[in-house]
Amino acid sequence: MSETPLNLLKLNLDERVYVKLRGARSMAGTLQAFDSHCNIVLSDAVETRYELVDGELRSTERPSEMVFVRGDSVTLVTTPEDE
Amino acid sequence: MLFFSFFKTLVDQEVVVELKNDIEIKGTLQSVDQFLNLKLDNISCDDETKYPHLSTVRNIFIRGSTVRYVYLNKNMVDTNLLQDATRREAMSEKK
Amino acid sequence: MSEITPVNPKPFLRSLVNERVVVKLKFNDTTYRGTLLSTDNYFNLQLADAEEIIGSTNRGTVGEIFIRCNNVLWIGTDQDQPSPKTA
Repeated sequence: MSETPLNLLKLNLDERVYVKLRGARSMAGTLQAFDSHCNIVLSDAVETRYELVDGELRSTERPSEMVFVRGDSVTLVTTPEDE
Repeated sequence: MLFFSFFKTLVDQEVVVELKNDIEIKGTLQSVDQFLNLKLDNISCDDETKYPHLSTVRNIFIRGSTVRYVYLNKNMVDTNLLQDATRREAMSEKK
Repeated sequence: MSEITPVNPKPFLRSLVNERVVVKLKFNDTTYRGTLLSTDNYFNLQLADAEEIIGSTNRGTVGEIFIRCNNVLWIGTDQDQPSPKTA
């Protein structure tokens, strides 16, 4: 009955999650699968990319119905703030 | 092994792979191994002008570690089965 | 003639569970402050009531978070009281 950080992910299966990624990206979607490397599958996901254009922060969004995210890009996982 | 099994169910389906260097390649998944290295057949690039070196190639091997995303279609995935498999995998790792 | 008692990483990290901690990431000058809920053999971290600080600006509370182990530079106890929110 050991509590581990990965349990947070397990409790959020089939729930909306927010994943912060390397390279100024983030992804929000419904958690369908994960493993110990933090490889993740999200459905109804929206990726947000941030970039500086002339010193101004700009973000572009890209929706996808099902996406696999490789674990080594993941930095942080949490539940979305807007609830 | 969860995602190895998962990708094996996707063999012969068309996927879009986004690499960490921002290249995006569409192709039919031919095979996968335990490192999630991928072999794609009949590949095409949405932006051929940007990556002309890929336009003459039809069949590629992608080292798993260079993958950022793999875009799939909803109908390729049984989400209930996938969630159950995830729970089972999480159980078996916790000892 | 003082004896040195070695403290190993794993017991150290376990002693921080349920304490207020500061976690500094390797990238983007990011810091998280929160209550350490759990760790595992990879030293993945789970924090509660976490707040995100990038550079010197507090980006607000992010709640319960999972931090993937490879991104962590260091972790320590939070000496200050949880800093007042600057929304």
